[in-house]
Amino acid sequence: MHTGNNNIWELAEAYAQHKLNTFELQSLEQRLAADTHFATEFQDAVNLLHSLEQHAAQKQFQASLYNIQQQIQNEAAQKPKKIALQWHYARTAAIAASVAILASLGTSFWNNKHQASSSKYSELKKVRNEIEGIKLSQNRIIKDLDNKANKPAIENKYSGTGFALSNDGYVVTNYHVTEGADSVYIQTRDGNYYKAFMVSFDANTDLAILKVESKKFKFSKQGGLPYSFATGKSNLGERVFTLGYPQDEVVYSEGYISSKNGYLGDSMQYRLELPAEPGQSGAPVLDANGTVVAIVTGKDSKSLSTTYAVSSKTMLHMLASLPQSIALPKANKLGRLNRTQQIEKIQDFTCVVNVYK
Amino acid sequence: MQLTLLKEHQLLEGIAANDRKITEQVYRDNYKQVQAWVQTRGGSADDGADVFQEAMTILFQKAQNEEFRLSCKIGTYLVAVAKYIWYKKLQQQNRRPDFTPFDSGDETSNDKYAYEDDLKIQVEREQHFEQLNIAMESLGEPCRSLLKAFYNEDKSMQDIASLFGYTNPDNAKTQKYKCLTRLKKLFYAQVHK
Repeated sequence: MHTGNNNIWELAEAYAQHKLNTFELQSLEQRLAADTHFATEFQDAVNLLHSLEQHAAQKQFQASLYNIQQQIQNEAAQKPKKIALQWHYARTAAIAASVAILASLGTSFWNNKHQASSSKYSELKKVRNEIEGIKLSQNRIIKDLDNKANKPAIENKYSGTGFALSNDGYVVTNYHVTEGADSVYIQTRDGNYYKAFMVSFDANTDLAILKVESKKFKFSKQGGLPYSFATGKSNLGERVFTLGYPQDEVVYSEGYISSKNGYLGDSMQYRLELPAEPGQSGAPVLDANGTVVAIVTGKDSKSLSTTYAVSSKTMLHMLASLPQSIALPKANKLGRLNRTQQIEKIQDFTCVVNVYK
Repeated sequence: MQLTLLKEHQLLEGIAANDRKITEQVYRDNYKQVQAWVQTRGGSADDGADVFQEAMTILFQKAQNEEFRLSCKIGTYLVAVAKYIWYKKLQQQNRRPDFTPFDSGDETSNDKYAYEDDLKIQVEREQHFEQLNIAMESLGEPCRSLLKAFYNEDKSMQDIASLFGYTNPDNAKTQKYKCLTRLKKLFYAQVHK
C-alpha cells in the first residue's frame, strides 16, 4: 500500500543514512538518470532530511554549550557563598552544623544606604536569608543581634517563586519564602504586581498557600491550568524539569528524581539531581507529561545540583485540610506537547513571590 | 583513557558527535582566552561567552565532515574565528573596531580568507535553518509536533505512534512522510521565492 510519496521518502531516508546496498544504489542511479522529475524531487527530499538532522544536531550541541557555560558560572557563584557560610560557622558554632547542610533558595535584595553603619547586622541577616526556616535557636541569636544593631532603616525585599493552584489566584510557594512577611506581592508573567494574602502555611512541610486579593484576578484569560497534580509518589529516576525565578527572567532547568525521600530521609520530600539557584524556592517540579510532582524547597549547599522538593502528595494533603475548597485542575493538557510548548503554557501560571519584611 | 591525552583529531571527533566530556574539556581549555580578549575590545563577559559559543558551533559544523582537518591547533582556530566574529559584530553595530581580527601577526593571508569563509558559510547555514523553522512553524498540527518529536526529541516511531494516537508505528510513519511532503513544499516555496 505504499504510495509514490512514501516511496520517495523511504528511499531518501535510507540514502541519507547510508543504508542502501550496492544493488539498490545502482538502481537508484539509473532511475535518477532516466527520470529528471524524480531526480529533482529526490534531491530536494534528501537535502531536506539533511537539513532537519543538521539543525537538530546543532541545536543539541548549542544546548550543551549553554549548559557548560551555566555550569562554569555556577561554580564561580558557588565560591563566595561558601565563604559566607564558613564565616558564619566561625561566629556562631551553635547553629552552623545544621546550616551547612541545607541552604534555602531565596534571593534577597538590599538597600545599601546604611550599610556602613550596620554591616554586622546586614551580614547576619543575609545569612539568615540563606538559611531561612531551619532553626529556632538561630532566630533567637539573630533577634539578640537585631536588638543591639539599633534597628537600621533597611528595606528588605526577599523573593522566591510560586505557581498557580487555580486560575483565580490561589498560589503555592515555600513557607520560608513568606516567613515574617509584612506584605506579599506576586508578579505574574506580564510583569504586573498583585497583592496577596496568606491563606495557610505549614512550617513543617515548608509550604504556604497564598491568594491574590483582587477578585477579578486571573492568571490566564485563555482557560485554566494546563498541568494537574500527581496524587502518588513518582518513581526513582523519573526525568523532571522546573521553571523558577532566580532572576527577573524565568529560568528552566531539568534533572531527575535521585531519591524518593528527601533531606534526612524526609518521606514528604524528594531528592533531585536538578540545578537550582537562589530564588527558585517554591518553583514547580514537573514530570515529562507536565504533571506537577513536587515543589522546590531547598538545596544541598555542598553539591551543585542536589535539590530537595516537597511532593505534590504532601501539598494535596495540606489543601484537603483547608476550610475553603480550591478548584484544582482535573486534566493535564500538556501530555502531547513538546517541551518548549509545555514551558510556554506553564509560564503563564508561574510567578515571582516578592516578600517585604 | 585520560582526556588530556586525546589527540586533536579525537577531540574533533568528540565535538562532532556532541560528546559532552570532550566538548566540555575543549570549552574549559579555551573560553577564558576568548572572553578576556573580547573584554579588552569593548565587549562584556557575556559577549565573550556568546562569541566563543558561536566559534564552537562553527567548529562543530566543520567537524561533521569526516575529512575535515585543521591546519592548526583547535585552540588557535577557535580564538582566531572568535576574533573574526567579534570584529564583524562590532562592524555591524557601526562601532568601528579599532583593531583588525588578526593582530597577533602569525596568520598568513590564506588563513584570513579561510576564517572569513567559515563564518560566511555558518551565516548562510543559519539563514537556511531559519527558513526551515519558518516552514516548520507554518506547518500546522499534528505535523509540526510529530516532526519535532522525531527530529528534535529523538523519539522512536513506536513512541510517536502511542503519543499521537496512531494504531501502529507504520501508520505513524505514513503520517510522517505526509508531513515531510508538506514541509518540503513549504520550505522550497520559500527558498525559491
